[in-house]
Amino acid sequence: MFYFVVRYLRWLAQVPGFPQVFDAFLLASTCILRRSRFVAMEALEVEALRLRDVRVKNHRFGGIEFIEGEGRELGHLHGHGLLDVFVPLETAQALIATGRVRSHHVFPNSRWISFQIESNADIPFALELLTMARTSVPSESDVKAQILTASRGELHSTTDRAVA
Amino acid sequence: MSTDPTMPVDLPPSWKIWLKGIVIGDVSIGLLYGACALLQTIGVYDTLVIPSLFLVPLLGGLIASYFWRTLQPRIGATILNTFWMTFLALAGSTIAFHEGVICLLIVSPLFYLLVLTGACLGRIWFRTDTTRLRVTLLPCLAVAILAEPMTRIDTKGVVVDELVIHAPAAKVWREVTSFPEIPSAPKFWLFRMGLPYPVATTSAGDFVNADRKCIFSHDAIFTEKIVELVPQEKLTFDILESPPDPELIGHLTPHRGQFVLRSNADGTTTLIGSTWYTLHVRPVWYFDWWTQHIFRAVHLRVMEDVRRRAES
Repeated sequence: MFYFVVRYLRWLAQVPGFPQVFDAFLLASTCILRRSRFVAMEALEVEALRLRDVRVKNHRFGGIEFIEGEGRELGHLHGHGLLDVFVPLETAQALIATGRVRSHHVFPNSRWISFQIESNADIPFALELLTMARTSVPSESDVKAQILTASRGELHSTTDRAVA
Repeated sequence: MSTDPTMPVDLPPSWKIWLKGIVIGDVSIGLLYGACALLQTIGVYDTLVIPSLFLVPLLGGLIASYFWRTLQPRIGATILNTFWMTFLALAGSTIAFHEGVICLLIVSPLFYLLVLTGACLGRIWFRTDTTRLRVTLLPCLAVAILAEPMTRIDTKGVVVDELVIHAPAAKVWREVTSFPEIPSAPKFWLFRMGLPYPVATTSAGDFVNADRKCIFSHDAIFTEKIVELVPQEKLTFDILESPPDPELIGHLTPHRGQFVLRSNADGTTTLIGSTWYTLHVRPVWYFDWWTQHIFRAVHLRVMEDVRRRAES
């Protein structure tokens, strides 16, 4: 359902409150239908908050966002356990080549990658991805590309703080 | 009482904090409904108003999460306690507002989802930062909820259904103006669960201004008056009074009903049934879908019985 909405109903992201309500729906259905995934999502949040200087905030398109320092986004976790992480481009390509992660559902061929959490066994790798994101500082061209995409009405921009 | 900040703070047991959030969240929701009723009584609102069932549960969830913040709750605990909060709110509305079971069934998925949305947002918002600005959001949202009905524009909706009957219009017409008790048991799932369904219709005659009564189950009677009558073609009636059934009252006003008969070249007749209504509950996109779903079932129950009698 998530991919259907992202692909065909992306305009709904512009409706105030819709992404948050949709994410709550994903959360509730994951809690009922995918217990092991849900337990892992809870555990990931706890473990991620143990990383030095990492905090959470509400992601503007639903889910929780992991941030560090001045508020730079490391990644965000959607209600159905999809972790989107912002890593260096070479790292993204290498990780996608391994088949363990997918290219991002909105930004393929970018520094964003997506990792589907299924169980507690996935937590170490998810934390590893967030750690990779911590060392990844976006280049000026990345930021410009993100701004350009965002201005075209796409869903994500990444590094508001980096622009500042 | 110690004011030493280094001393550990005695927190109440966690169940008390959960309960406090649930009760205060639900009471806030109830107070908003009460405030709306009061504003309606003193004439601030022009029409019948039920506060937005999008914004109100959202605020309830946010308020609850504010009280839960000291627990640093996990998502699972938030999901579970918003369920109890929803259950308590719906039980409370049954007692306070005499809401019907079917209404609660319809509203509960949306209500729960929005309480959960508010609670999930608040879980993160109030977790790390309880600055005044964020807490001020709550009364601002409450004011927005009370102001929202003033921005509403009542729009009439209409549900139209068609059925082909293998009988000439003259024969169908006789079965449309009034009809005896529909013998078949209701098939529609909400009718089976207790929602009133059409049983029979009586009419004082086939003329304009004739009184009609559309009788539903549970002794629910709609009082109607014929306003347009073209034999074998069209019957239009205004719905003057709706029954005080808890499943029907306050949520929508049906204004008008109509049957149109269209003779087809092959000797069959297309029967077109329409109902015009105004919804008083928001969000429209959610409740209009349910209204159309239910009216369609009402139409089909009546029209299928007309077909049965006309084709026999």
